[in-house]
Amino acid sequence: MSAQSATYPIEQRPAPTRRREPVIASGVLGMLIFIFTEVMFFAGLISAHTIVRSQVAGQLWPPYGQPRLPIEQTAVNSLALLVSGAVLVLTWFAFKREPSRARIPLLLSILLGTVFVGFQGMEWTALLAEGLTLQSSTYGAFFYLIVGGHALHAVGALVGLAWAFYQLGKGELTASQLGTVSMFWYFVVLVWPMLYLKVYL
Amino acid sequence: MTRGLIVVGALLLLAIVPDVAHACPVCFDASDENREAFLATTAFLSLLPLGMVGGVGLWIRNRIRGIDEDGVSAQCVDHVETDA
Repeated sequence: MSAQSATYPIEQRPAPTRRREPVIASGVLGMLIFIFTEVMFFAGLISAHTIVRSQVAGQLWPPYGQPRLPIEQTAVNSLALLVSGAVLVLTWFAFKREPSRARIPLLLSILLGTVFVGFQGMEWTALLAEGLTLQSSTYGAFFYLIVGGHALHAVGALVGLAWAFYQLGKGELTASQLGTVSMFWYFVVLVWPMLYLKVYL
Repeated sequence: MTRGLIVVGALLLLAIVPDVAHACPVCFDASDENREAFLATTAFLSLLPLGMVGGVGLWIRNRIRGIDEDGVSAQCVDHVETDA
């Protein structure tokens, strides 16, 4: 029997000093709070869009004389975004096994995301040429505001993923950092189907 | 039991009082679509933040419990090792 157990009965023995595991990483918590605000930003836009659309006489949407949105092409493009999110999940599991194995899936995820943003840019160029602008109608205003807001978030998230890829290359990327930037990309990926359903269909 | 009754009472009050007050400026719009849109988006914007905060709260609670359980089992191992 050790000296310690002779001094204290087992139930009164002081617990060994142990650094408590954080409930949630600071970066992840910060990103979570930021995402909450962004969810409400898009929820407000979607709500305004829903109400304005319900006030259109005869429920004619898009309004007469306004160009139609490329529904099919954007659906294919949306698939690239969704696959990018799925590949990022694989990146996480690969990172947990061996960080160096996460490089290829992370790069693939970034490339798919870039394809999505690039195609959206091409779509905007075509729609602007057809006369759909921010001032042309509430239809155009909502389209550019909602889809543009999402594109801005997508670019921000891609910058974060590119930074994570750079850190991974240097061998300095931590699980917390990868989790934080991935969470933002998941938000970009998951909010898009709802925006697509409301704005395009 | 009492707490449950208070919650049910509060919900009933919330459901009945606005109807009596006729406080909603858009609840009597001539257009059904517009009225439904206002009601749906009001519910959406009201419940979304509650759902998000509640979901994260539950997740953090479960995580704390998990960590505490891991900590207790680790402490038990420490004591067994010390006794040995």
